[in-house]
Amino acid sequence: MPSVGQPIPHDSAAGHVTGRAHYIDDLPLRSDELHVGFVGSPVAYGKIEKIDFASAKQISGVVGIFTADDIPGEKKFGIHYRDEPVLAEGEVLYVGQPVIVIAAESAEALSQARRAVKIDVQPAKPILSIEEAILQQKFLGEPRQIRRGDPQAAIASALHKLSGVFQCGGQEQFYLESHAAIVYPAEEGQLIVHSSTQHTTEIQVVVAEALGLRQHQVVCMCKRMGGGFGGKETQAAIPAILAALVAHKTGRAARIIYDKDQDMISTGKRHAYRFEWEVGFDNDGRILGMKTNQYSNAGASADLSMAVLERSMLHAENSYYIPDIVINGRLCFTNFPSNTAFRGFGGPQAMAAMENVIHSIAAHLDLDPLQVQQRNLYGTDDRNITPYGQVYIRNHLPEIVSNLEESSNYKVRRREIITQNQQDALRLRGIALSPVKFGISFTTKFLNYANALVNVYTDGTVQVSTGATEMGQGVNTKIRQLVADEFGISWDRVLLMPTSTEKNNNTSATAASASTDLNGAAAVDACRKIKQRLIEFAASRFALVELGLAESPQHVVFADGWVFDSRQPEQHIEFGPLCKLARLDRIDLGARGFFATPGVDFNRETGQGTPFFYFTQGAAVAEVEIDRFTGELSVPRVDLLIDIGRSINPSVDRGQIIGGCIQGMGWVTAECLVYNEKGELLSHSPTTYKIPATTDVPRIFNCEFFDNDDNVENIRRSKAVGEPPLMHAIAVWGAAKQALASIGVGGDLKIPATGEEILRCLTPAAACALPQFSDNGQPAGQTAKSQPSKAMKP
Amino acid sequence: MEMYSRDYLLVYINGRRHTVRGADCWLTLSTFLRTNLGLVGTKIVCSEGDCGSCTVLVGAPAGNEFQYCSIDSCIAFMFQLDGKHVVTVEGLSDPDQLSPVQQSLIDCHGSQCGFCTPGFAMAMTGMLENGPCSTEADWRAGLTGNLCRCTGYIQIFEAGIDTNASELQKLNDRFPPEQMLRDFGSEARSRIRIEAEVFGKPGFLSSPTTVAQAIDFLDRHPTAKVVAGATDIGVQTNKRGTAPNVVLDLNRIAELQYARVTGESDARTLVAGARATWYDLERLCNDELPEFARIISKFGGAQIRHIGTLGGNIINASPIADSLPFLFVMEAELELTSVNSTRTVPITEFYRGYKQLDLRPGELLTRVSVSLPTSKQDLGLYKVSRRRDLDIATFTAAILIELDGDRITEACIALGAVAPTVIRATDTEAFLRGQEFNEATMRSAGDLAVREISPISDVRGAADYRLQLTRNVFLKFYHEQQTSPELVSSHA
Repeated sequence: MPSVGQPIPHDSAAGHVTGRAHYIDDLPLRSDELHVGFVGSPVAYGKIEKIDFASAKQISGVVGIFTADDIPGEKKFGIHYRDEPVLAEGEVLYVGQPVIVIAAESAEALSQARRAVKIDVQPAKPILSIEEAILQQKFLGEPRQIRRGDPQAAIASALHKLSGVFQCGGQEQFYLESHAAIVYPAEEGQLIVHSSTQHTTEIQVVVAEALGLRQHQVVCMCKRMGGGFGGKETQAAIPAILAALVAHKTGRAARIIYDKDQDMISTGKRHAYRFEWEVGFDNDGRILGMKTNQYSNAGASADLSMAVLERSMLHAENSYYIPDIVINGRLCFTNFPSNTAFRGFGGPQAMAAMENVIHSIAAHLDLDPLQVQQRNLYGTDDRNITPYGQVYIRNHLPEIVSNLEESSNYKVRRREIITQNQQDALRLRGIALSPVKFGISFTTKFLNYANALVNVYTDGTVQVSTGATEMGQGVNTKIRQLVADEFGISWDRVLLMPTSTEKNNNTSATAASASTDLNGAAAVDACRKIKQRLIEFAASRFALVELGLAESPQHVVFADGWVFDSRQPEQHIEFGPLCKLARLDRIDLGARGFFATPGVDFNRETGQGTPFFYFTQGAAVAEVEIDRFTGELSVPRVDLLIDIGRSINPSVDRGQIIGGCIQGMGWVTAECLVYNEKGELLSHSPTTYKIPATTDVPRIFNCEFFDNDDNVENIRRSKAVGEPPLMHAIAVWGAAKQALASIGVGGDLKIPATGEEILRCLTPAAACALPQFSDNGQPAGQTAKSQPSKAMKP
Repeated sequence: MEMYSRDYLLVYINGRRHTVRGADCWLTLSTFLRTNLGLVGTKIVCSEGDCGSCTVLVGAPAGNEFQYCSIDSCIAFMFQLDGKHVVTVEGLSDPDQLSPVQQSLIDCHGSQCGFCTPGFAMAMTGMLENGPCSTEADWRAGLTGNLCRCTGYIQIFEAGIDTNASELQKLNDRFPPEQMLRDFGSEARSRIRIEAEVFGKPGFLSSPTTVAQAIDFLDRHPTAKVVAGATDIGVQTNKRGTAPNVVLDLNRIAELQYARVTGESDARTLVAGARATWYDLERLCNDELPEFARIISKFGGAQIRHIGTLGGNIINASPIADSLPFLFVMEAELELTSVNSTRTVPITEFYRGYKQLDLRPGELLTRVSVSLPTSKQDLGLYKVSRRRDLDIATFTAAILIELDGDRITEACIALGAVAPTVIRATDTEAFLRGQEFNEATMRSAGDLAVREISPISDVRGAADYRLQLTRNVFLKFYHEQQTSPELVSSHA
């Protein structure tokens, strides 16, 4: 039976449930191993006057203390722009920025030494919001634009016009395993780096560059991560370099394990955004023209922010055809850790902003937002060209939306809710739909590439290595299935090996939802090379001159663990023995495979191109319930319908869909990054930063796949599933907005719609003007007072 | 008679005997497991009892077997575990035979990245040890102490529902208790006194078995840190890097762990020892006082409720302590015992300022008694937090009123998280007495109450948010009283 399409278990599931699946900090401590940690900047911005580590050095067990001066090679790194310091040099740019590295014999000595370091900084006024950056014109990179038609004229001539500002906060990835790395020194100045990273090649390169080594002297390995979500795409670099610096300087093994607070304080998050929008539309709510300015909070260096912004701009219209449109994008410099990749990669913010426009139009015309959505959805035959010129082919959204409207009983429930809201003194309910169209491919062309190494052994078992890293998403499980099917063997004969730059060089990050697409296709390519050799070998053995059966490779079949000639299936041989015979006949049973996504490209100058191989599409209907007196929100029901093509593993995909949607629900409801006026993150651990817990999950969660097998170009007609589900949670926010709209408030509801934010909307302005916390990009000027007392600590 | 005393702890871990000595007694259980024993299946994420990744099961002797419950090993000290059997994920199953919980987690795709999974497997096993769990609602409510960032939980609930509990080997079968109980029994009455250098200072630990011994120790060491559940001290230790060096551990004092309701109908009193856990109180209040049980159910996750104590919540003196508004409106009485005296203090007079107590040197909180609402009284308890479960309150309140027809004859209002201590809103109470119970009255009460408080802005909410919640809670109470109880609770 073929493996693809079967819900086989995650390839590490048995290890997960028994605790035998090891993560970085579970590796045994070597006898010479040093504990490594850093001390971060105490302030958000300023000039370093003095780093006083004299007393730290005296602490028994402290082996080495290093600063930027000790970095032998490149002191800055960055995938697109080399602008991020490994260790602060001269100035500090954000609270928690690594300034000094300490290596010690024990965790206790390290902890004591960290407390003994004093970093004197002459503080300067930091930039702590998007608005302040705009005011001071502090940007990173160049302005970007995508434009079609004459939006100014289209809006001017429209019957209705609306404009506004929409803000959404950032989000902490909150992978459970915090950043971690162990570096073992090896011969000839080599280093073996074990890193919790989504991108082994990048770690290899940045470590080599920082230490002045050549790339072939560094091996980076990653067996698995305890979650990544984008947070370990680039940001695993600093911990890996710091441990490598210690290993390089001392010749001893070096281990760095961030604790959760350090991780949250010093690493980047989902970008907060400010959207300024203007829209013109007709009496039916049909959009004629739109202008939007997207400002993202990039933090103190570029990191991936330009690529994130690019994806925001490419998703500014979400699922809607807008004839005349201009999208401007700008990266705002702020004194925060450099914001980075997080599942959705700029898509969620832009799509939420578009949904905000839809809700605003609906409120203005007193329409059901679903009507406005349906009137503006991309068409299947016309109205199907995106603002960047890509034709949106195989658009199933109109069908998905109307199927979901039906299956969720949207209309009836909406009517009931509106009536009930007039009568219920305690709570308000709301229901909303939101569609998702998410482009699949890296928008940076050269990243759309993967290689794979497949080794077949003489007992017919297979090892597969690719550049994909396993962070729970199940890429290894899916590749296992793909490879098993190529050889017609059962999946348990295939093992996925740890990701290592020794086996797979020059890889791309495991990101953009496309890891199975890319690495799976590369693995299949490798399998087919081996298989071709086996076919030729088998064909010669199956040929029977006396029976008149000529050698015929095209009749050789691999199925159910057997290999046979379809003309005489009774003459079969098991895959294992065939491999053994082939080896004895000196046939190579290993191969490298390669895949590069065909036909994708994007011109950044013109803002035009075909950046996406295809689109994953879907929609969700969410219902929320709000306590009228406290603003507390719960989500009793979500219905979700998504087109992920032919699923390689329906259970893995269902896990991605539910998990992604709940993660998105956290972003739009409860996950609130709170900073004080000094730029210190106050919500830096799960005590104060609240990701969804079990009781936040909707009691009813209907998750359905849209039956579709037209994604013919992609591997086994599947579609990428990693990121798109997250954006389905925008429906939850939309439902909150509808609950508030039913009593005529909530026009300026932000993301996240916390209880506090909802109560602000529910409270008449005269009763109580609620100042907002600065939330990594929320309005400037009004920030939480630094705590005058410890009165509210538990 | 000088009792036998020992300088080590006796702990069993996965059926194996361990004696723990010296500074190791101050280690957290998770550090001991991972670093000293190499049992790295237990994962550390937050080090503050807010994620459940480090969940283990702790068995306490109960008759001729062990009673197991889940705790967070990252904030439990070794010294709390003398006489206990700890089961970690390594102890759940044999290499060739997974437990039904583990098998279901695999079959139902309950793990993705896997980092939280050992903690879930332990918490789920703990739930099945303590009774049947069949519905999604059971698993949902029982697993609030475990965070997962990947799955969105539904496949974990499905794994729970799919688990064939009848095939689950109970831990008392898997780890025969007789020998462990005999071993513990022979050491049960001995005093534990341990001296060691702890965080660079001389450390001294006493773990007595009676209140008399405890107050005797406190008399001689009045600055000792008294530890019961350690759910706050454990966090402070992890986050600040220093542990209390002189410790009085109450975990072996059985006479402090009880909770019962005495009296009948309108004269019921809840009496509890200081070491009654939230789990003990939740079970008792499910029948006796569902409104308080509802608030207790939101007190941390199950792991915290299994070990956190009533006494700890009171003595910790946080203005956002979940239990205090209830205890304030019911005017609970605290029994404080020292070698010289036993006295009773009303809880409303116990707090003198932020974390300042009317607790004299050498005094130990031994008992809490609180009368329960009568049939004439209506009680509303409130905890507003960013997340429903496993969160610290942004705002708490208790409203108790007594009605004669439409007329309010008595009103007690307690508000938390709006001042350095939980407070009684006495002006508001005075206003309410004699008023007609209607929306206008309650609106006025809210307007009055905000003048009695002084909230600050912090990470959990702005001062103005807390002011508005204070205003609104009176209206919420009023409207809840006008709505049928089923409709009110369906929301919770």
